[in-house]
Amino acid sequence: MAQLFHPSTNVLAKLSIVGVAAVVPLLGVAVYFFNMNYGAEVRVPKEQPVEFSHRHHVGDDGIDCRYCHTSVDKSNNAGMPSTYTCMTCHSQLWSDSPELEPVRESFRTGTPIQWDRVHDLPDFAYFNHSIHVKKGVGCVSCHGRVDEMPLIWKEKDLTMKWCLDCHRKPEDFVRPRERVFDIAWTPEEDQKKMGERLVKEYHVLNSFQLTNCSTCHH
Amino acid sequence: MQDQTKTGGQAGRGGASHPAVESAPTAFVSLDEIAPSPKLDLERIRQRLEGTRGREFWRSLEEVADTPEFRRYIEREFPHAAPRDMQPLSRRNFLQLMGATLALAGISGCAYQPPEKIVPYIEQPESVVPGKPNYYATAFDRGGYAIGILGETHVGRPTKLEGNPAHPASLGATDIFTQASLLMLYDPERSRSARYLGSDQTWEQFQAAILEPIRAARARRGAGVWLLMSPSTSPTLGAQLQRFRQRFPGARVLVHDAVSRENVYAGTRMAFGQELQPVYDFAQAQRILSLDADFLTNEVANVRYAHDFMRGRRVRDGQTEMNRLYMVEGTMSLTGANADHRLGVAPSQVEAVARAIAAALGVGGANPGVLPDGVAQEWITAVANDLREHGGRSLVLAGPEQSAAVHALAHAINGAVGAVGRTVTYVEPVELRFGDSNNSLRQLTDAISANQVDALIIVGANPAYTAPADVPFAEALKSLSSGAGKVTVHMGLYEDETAALCQWHLPQSHYLEAWSDARAFDGTASIVQPLIQPLYATHSVHELVATLLEDDILTGLEIVRDYWRRRSPGTNFDDLWYQALTRGIVPNTKAPARTVSAGALALPASEAQPPTAQAAEIAFRPDPTIWDGQWANSGWLQELPKHISTLTWDNAVMMSPEMAQQLGLTKEDMVDLRLGDRTLQAAVWTVPGHPKNSVTLTLGYGRERAGRLGNGFGFNAYRLRGTDALWNASGLQIVKTGRRYPLAGTQHHFTLAAERGLIKYGTLSQLLEDPKHPPFLHQEHHGAPEDAAQDTGNDPHVGTERPGPGPEHPDVPNTLYPQMWPSDRQNPQDAGPGTYTAQGYNSQPIPAWGMVIDLNACIGCHACTIACQAENNIATVGKDQVLMNREMHWIRIDQYHTGTVEDPERVFEPVPCMHCEKAPCEPVCPVEATSHSAEGINEMTYNRCIGTRYCSNNCPYKVRRFNFLQFSDQHTPSIQLMRNPDVTTRSRGVMEKCTYCIQRINLARIEAEKEERRIEDGDVITACAQVCPTEAIIFGNINDDYSNQGRGSRVRQLKAGPFNYGLLTELNTMPRTTYLAKLRNPNPVIEPAAAHGAGGHGAAGHDAGGHGTESQGAAGAHGAAGNEEGH
Repeated sequence: MAQLFHPSTNVLAKLSIVGVAAVVPLLGVAVYFFNMNYGAEVRVPKEQPVEFSHRHHVGDDGIDCRYCHTSVDKSNNAGMPSTYTCMTCHSQLWSDSPELEPVRESFRTGTPIQWDRVHDLPDFAYFNHSIHVKKGVGCVSCHGRVDEMPLIWKEKDLTMKWCLDCHRKPEDFVRPRERVFDIAWTPEEDQKKMGERLVKEYHVLNSFQLTNCSTCHH
Repeated sequence: MQDQTKTGGQAGRGGASHPAVESAPTAFVSLDEIAPSPKLDLERIRQRLEGTRGREFWRSLEEVADTPEFRRYIEREFPHAAPRDMQPLSRRNFLQLMGATLALAGISGCAYQPPEKIVPYIEQPESVVPGKPNYYATAFDRGGYAIGILGETHVGRPTKLEGNPAHPASLGATDIFTQASLLMLYDPERSRSARYLGSDQTWEQFQAAILEPIRAARARRGAGVWLLMSPSTSPTLGAQLQRFRQRFPGARVLVHDAVSRENVYAGTRMAFGQELQPVYDFAQAQRILSLDADFLTNEVANVRYAHDFMRGRRVRDGQTEMNRLYMVEGTMSLTGANADHRLGVAPSQVEAVARAIAAALGVGGANPGVLPDGVAQEWITAVANDLREHGGRSLVLAGPEQSAAVHALAHAINGAVGAVGRTVTYVEPVELRFGDSNNSLRQLTDAISANQVDALIIVGANPAYTAPADVPFAEALKSLSSGAGKVTVHMGLYEDETAALCQWHLPQSHYLEAWSDARAFDGTASIVQPLIQPLYATHSVHELVATLLEDDILTGLEIVRDYWRRRSPGTNFDDLWYQALTRGIVPNTKAPARTVSAGALALPASEAQPPTAQAAEIAFRPDPTIWDGQWANSGWLQELPKHISTLTWDNAVMMSPEMAQQLGLTKEDMVDLRLGDRTLQAAVWTVPGHPKNSVTLTLGYGRERAGRLGNGFGFNAYRLRGTDALWNASGLQIVKTGRRYPLAGTQHHFTLAAERGLIKYGTLSQLLEDPKHPPFLHQEHHGAPEDAAQDTGNDPHVGTERPGPGPEHPDVPNTLYPQMWPSDRQNPQDAGPGTYTAQGYNSQPIPAWGMVIDLNACIGCHACTIACQAENNIATVGKDQVLMNREMHWIRIDQYHTGTVEDPERVFEPVPCMHCEKAPCEPVCPVEATSHSAEGINEMTYNRCIGTRYCSNNCPYKVRRFNFLQFSDQHTPSIQLMRNPDVTTRSRGVMEKCTYCIQRINLARIEAEKEERRIEDGDVITACAQVCPTEAIIFGNINDDYSNQGRGSRVRQLKAGPFNYGLLTELNTMPRTTYLAKLRNPNPVIEPAAAHGAGGHGAAGHDAGGHGTESQGAAGAHGAAGNEEGH
């Protein structure tokens, strides 16, 4: 029977010992990267059919979140503005700006604008905007300073761990209800002390209920 | 269209997963391995049943016979596994599979979420809030008769249909057909475009093409124009057809219905000389005699009737009155199974029994003859006396399958006992009547052969399939379609057998897509308003008739509005219209009761001879799930176990086990049915309690152009059916062929491995002995009845039957383990360290969700099963998967028998997840995919599940369902529209089970918190509880002591009541779902109380089921584990 392995395979065998030593730390690095919301596209602005600037509308013009996201305090879905909502102003303002052409086209032809979703939970996770608004979770807590974003990006990675941070300790995040839509607001007192008071006042569920699987998965 | 709401998770095809493609009966399925049909030794079974004391319950005769084959089947370690999965695996194959598994696991771990678009409205309708459903009142018509519904829509897509509490035929509940009508809307195989000789056309092309023949017909005053309709109650259509007949006086309008109600009208003609529609008031009826009327499932108001009937049987809150149902029937029906006394006779012999009862009540002209074999005169006398004693609170009704004479007898008895005007009233026929619909196809066929038909328009019906065998309608239609200068048009939801033979096919709009109106059984009219724009280029029957009339008003909405505007002059029409649409009924449209006067009863002589095994009788009945065949392409209905037989995907020749034994047949044997010169091959299914020398075959199967789900299953009963004997025929010969056909019955699926305590069952007289502690509830488990009595204090948790509370600490459960869930505790102070006192606006303690299922109210109609399927995006799996015990229903109906083989009583037990407080499934999950919520719900987290199936191994109730294959459809676009967006659809390899409709609980909790209030009783209704016509399922918060004016939630009250018990509580699972014992109300004259023995179930000495009796708990636990797949 002929020899199965050529002598040169000895070299390969020796090299593989070194290889294992090199691969192990490499794996470690890979795991580290995956754990860092790698691929979550945090702080990556997304191209949109219309270059809509939250910085301009929220920051400069001071338009309230609920002007466009009308159902944020009513429904699980915050709501996206219809073409008519855009046109309430833009039939008068910047009415011939080329950047707004897709909006006018939508208005003319009756075809909706297709926005690219930025905050996209997996389909097996259910999130309800209205209850968070009701219990004093500010928009900024999840969406960041949209008044400083020219194109919207994801401020938080929306991982389950991140959700649980608040569901386990809501007192670290809740704010007075009247400040929910106030993006630039910062607490005047100690967050912990205020949070504990508000959690009581707003009847926020206890963390045992808030961390049930079925709170978000059903 | 707004698409930003989630359209249902990892998309799947809950409904029509079109599994039939793979699931045609295939060769690899070895019958003996899948479902054994051992030859039953009836003698041995009888002996075993007689050898038991007290009330025994058995699932099937196979179980009682306890043959080694059956044992092997039941104790098989992997009942869910395909035979091919059971082959020994070679080492090489094992390594290949494991390698592939590893590789796939690695790949699937690196998936990114696909990018999604958000598509807002151009102009958002004010009423639409994305994420919040809207409800619209409309009406579903079944065979023409309306049942009012509230349709749930999510951004314009109907996703669930619920009953309209304001509608008389619904009272908030619905039935299986209403639920399944949603799937029909989205059926990808619905007809989408008009066709002319096979090529696609538009509606406008049809309108243009029909113009010339219509004008020609008008010139000859309509001669030669024939219109064949399916039954309808629409007032608008009635007015349109009236105008049609004015404009075309020579034209003929006919109705065809394979499941017609002609006998009802013939019966009132015989009794009162005019056609009337009887309306029954079961709520008032104390004694009911049904002459083959399956009113719980088949009557035009079955939902309402079932509701009222069961209301009269609810013996709670100190009530001691309970109605009593006598059933005389020619088959084995669900109503018969719910009767206190059932008499099964050959269908032709029902009349003899009716005559005898009528004569005993002094009805003149009843002319009683010889009673059928096995019917005692004492029985007749007892029934007659009981009816007479209750006078105006008695009710007698006859089924549409029985002859006019039986109907006339029923009317005469009602008159004799004084029931007319009280429990039964008569109204003008609600249906549009166009002559004898049983004879319409014969007339039409004769006219075609006599060349009297120039234009034939068929709407809704499918006569090419449903025509009786002696009417060669299909051939006549074919020749007409190819005739020169002839026009044939078919309008329907599907391009079916009839469409294939017509020149034109027009797709009909589904009722959720089109404007119309319909009337309920008592005449109440509803506007049928669409919930969605037509998905395809479809039109309604009103638009078709308007086209034929060359009307100016051609849109459905305007036609319907126009009719009602004309009908209500002088009122503010817009107000009326708005009111009708929002309430779901048009005010003041209930038909007035007619006073009737019965002439002397002149019955035709009865010639019916009692059948023999050699010349048997055959009963043709509408199928419990696919009716006359029109639902054949509905995966939900095909897979829904049929009442009594539990068959799915097929019909079968149903006969009694004795008859089968006599003919040398077993289940799944193919036989030749010979009826005169007509023959049909069909498979046999034995049904204990079926009348002897008589078989039942349901209609609707053996279709050829139903669609992928309906084609090729079952046996076409229409091939045997003749015009002269539409319902019952005699002289049937049954010849064994020696071949076999696999039938997917679910009776043995998910068998609970305990033989005791699953059913608690007693009689009214037993209950009245001691209403606080009914003896039949306390015969077992705890030994002496006095111990058991202690259990029933006022602790609403009693149903969970915590094991043996010690005498010194009655409230402290006798267990070493700590009380895990805060909701266990009645007293928040007991909460202990790490305490979980509820916050939010709910009162303390945290809600404890629980369910009570009232076996006394459950009629076994399966509406809960299909409502759950619609609500929770549950997939269908196909016949070959059902044969492997893989159906996915989250709530199943177990059927138990007790009594004799010849005429067993049946008890139906719906079994959803028990949500055990000490759930055996939870500790065995290696990834904590199933866990317990603070509110006591046994949660299933799909995205964590890796599919080990350990949980389902360890579940003693067998309520967990595993996605062995990709059962959910992820691709068909129309099916995606149907999904409930609040429920994740599951993919392959994931376990699922009842969640107590957690999405509804979450929604109710969020709404309550937003409104800063507590969750009140009734805020959360599960889909199964909502659909139930008899309110047999009650769901709520066990810890709620504040609702209902401080009396607490209904579920809390019922759990504290005397009827409450749990299943397999000896395993210490503490189920949150508990049951209320079943009651019967037998006539003491017919069934003396002494003969009834102890109620309860399973006195000592029971081993008929073959399981140990000494150590019940251990046997149960072991058996349970051994029966599930793998451990």
